[in-house]
Amino acid sequence: MGSFYSDHRTWLHAVSASLKLILLAVFGTTLYVFNSTWVLLACAALCLLLFVSLGRATLPARKLLFLVLVTGLLITAFHAYLQQPLLGVVSALRLLSASLLGIALMLTTRSNDLLDVLESLLSPLNRFGVKSSALALQVALMLRFTEHFFIQWKRLDDAHRVRTGKPGGFKLLAPLTIRMLTSAQRVADALELRLPP
Amino acid sequence: MTSSRSSGLAYVSLFAALVAVFGLIPKIDLPLGVPITLQTLGVMLAGCMLGPKRALQALLLFLAAVAVGLPLLSGGRGGLGVFVAPSSGYLIGFPIGALATGLLMAFLPANTPRRAAISALVASAVGGVLAIHVCGVIGLVTLAKLSWTQAFWGTLVFVPGDLIKCVLCAAVVHSVARGLPDWRFGGRSFQ
Repeated sequence: MGSFYSDHRTWLHAVSASLKLILLAVFGTTLYVFNSTWVLLACAALCLLLFVSLGRATLPARKLLFLVLVTGLLITAFHAYLQQPLLGVVSALRLLSASLLGIALMLTTRSNDLLDVLESLLSPLNRFGVKSSALALQVALMLRFTEHFFIQWKRLDDAHRVRTGKPGGFKLLAPLTIRMLTSAQRVADALELRLPP
Repeated sequence: MTSSRSSGLAYVSLFAALVAVFGLIPKIDLPLGVPITLQTLGVMLAGCMLGPKRALQALLLFLAAVAVGLPLLSGGRGGLGVFVAPSSGYLIGFPIGALATGLLMAFLPANTPRRAAISALVASAVGGVLAIHVCGVIGLVTLAKLSWTQAFWGTLVFVPGDLIKCVLCAAVVHSVARGLPDWRFGGRSFQ
């Protein structure tokens, strides 16, 4: 996940993570209030303008954006097949706008800053017995495990290729699960020592 | 001895990560041309391995991370907007599906690898396929304004791929039952 953040400084890097999240939430919800193709087209153009303004920082996300465009085209084609081409265009424009904003957020905001915002947003739940710090710790652990999954998968795949000359594919799913469960148990042991009682 | 709290933290995070990883893996195209993602396999595995309570927590954690804006859904989507998209019914169905899979797995026999695999097949078919698709169809009808018939036929094309995932889930459970004989499926080890 860390690789998605761009170190190439842009104007959006200077905006606080909390403000960016609020704007994303407001704009994301607004997208679903309007059904007019022209309004959504204007929204998509605005999002595209914002994305382009980030310049070279968008380089790591261009492949992802291509996938979003292909998905948008597929959605439009599917709705056209169902005799609702306009609905398809509206859905595709919403997807494109929301994706552009989401990608811009991820390119210009560190995961840790997002987690800090999450923890402060969840802090009112402390009054009801939900520990916001524990929840933020779980999100951080989740991101760490996500990276660890790829590392373990690569190791197993390399070993499989050496033995058979072919990629492992789904055959690696079971050994990967066992390895990850063992890793999680080790993490649980470490947490047991570090967490307050 | 590791407490239930620390192991809960670790396993819940692990399975939330597994669902996220399956979202980052490129989609698979069936011979029919129907694209399938692996995220529902993560839902099935969470239910079978963790049981209802922790599987539900894992999927809620995953959805919380998506809501914050992390691009963890297939195609790199994330943010609050995905919860009001036409496919959001499936997304909201993830924790419900994990809960249903876990509940069934907790009741079905799992005392031998073979029985655990058969139980996982049944639990994942009910929780990971039926429950998620019911939620998905409701979402398609309410948000994409499709008719019930259109939504039903639309969702049906994904069922063959999902049934393959049920078989994969059962195979993984079988291997885990052999590789980690102490593991109690459906959350029984966490009581």
